[in-house]
Amino acid sequence: MANRPPTHGLRSMAKITREQLHGYLEDCLSEAETAQVEQALRESEPLQRMLRGLMQERDRGEHSVGAIWCRERLSCPNREQLGSYLLKALDPALQDYITFHLSTVGCAFCQANLADLQALQKEPAPKAKERRRRFFQSSAGYLRVCHTGK
Amino acid sequence: MASEGDRLLIQQIRQGDQRAWETLIARYEGRLLAFVERRLRDRATSEDVVQETFIGFLNSLPHFDAQRELQTYLFTIASHKITDHLRRSGRHPLHPASDHHGDVLQQQLDLHPAASSLARSQERRQLESDAVVRCLGSIIQQWKERGDFMRLKVLELLLVKGWGNRDVAAHLKITEQQVANYRFAAVKKLTEKIRAAGLPPDIFPQLQD
Repeated sequence: MANRPPTHGLRSMAKITREQLHGYLEDCLSEAETAQVEQALRESEPLQRMLRGLMQERDRGEHSVGAIWCRERLSCPNREQLGSYLLKALDPALQDYITFHLSTVGCAFCQANLADLQALQKEPAPKAKERRRRFFQSSAGYLRVCHTGK
Repeated sequence: MASEGDRLLIQQIRQGDQRAWETLIARYEGRLLAFVERRLRDRATSEDVVQETFIGFLNSLPHFDAQRELQTYLFTIASHKITDHLRRSGRHPLHPASDHHGDVLQQQLDLHPAASSLARSQERRQLESDAVVRCLGSIIQQWKERGDFMRLKVLELLLVKGWGNRDVAAHLKITEQQVANYRFAAVKKLTEKIRAAGLPPDIFPQLQD
């Protein structure tokens, strides 16, 4: 990912929180934080037990408000705001919040959107066009099934 | 909530409109590819997973609620496809390829309840989750409109990252008392809204602290 924002929010392995584990299960964490959690899970039995307990809680119907927040992207800036963020054309307070959201929170969805916007400026158009054509050709058959229900 | 443009696109795709499908692919493939590549770190494999995501979307389209935000829904499908891929390749720490009984995956599968109770539970969880999205979403929107980003940062670190009051205060350079006040006010407001939505707040452990 080009020009990925720094991940100031990364913390030491000993301090992995329940909410980080929720975020890990929801695939909401940044690349670096995901690697950190996976490493810690491989090395720590107590952390694995915490994860198992957390999954049991989910099965019992308990919710993590934080997991819903990140999964449903409740505070994520929209695509247009991210585009303006790249151009540094936002109100300073919003610009600062988006930096926080990208780097300290490490929102994986917004980092992906930002990386895509950056790639759009760099990637040769024919390459993207060819990729889209392949995606279309491999899925168009399912479009017919979806339409006819057969 | 899905944008008007996305709702129209979905309606056209449901009618079998190929150009609409092409448009959806062009609109979303780049961000999905970046999202998947972040985890898999391999371009060709990531493209395969994005392809599976689009097929998964079409297969699930009859059940898709057009009120949901399309981008969030596509990211959710991509996330499942990533997990499937990592599990198949034995690269997921929760889903190793081995069938070692001590691993977390094996225990995760063993802990899962029967399919029928899981389905009921999933349906209820979705309704509860939708209520939180409405309640918390409106609170966050108010903070944003007021430009109250400090409050938003505090709550995001507390609830999404699970940081303690002291760490949040130190990181944001405010007092612990301010953090505690923000937490108290937000939890109170959210609990009231959740009660008003007819849900018991005790299913949200973070609101009990």
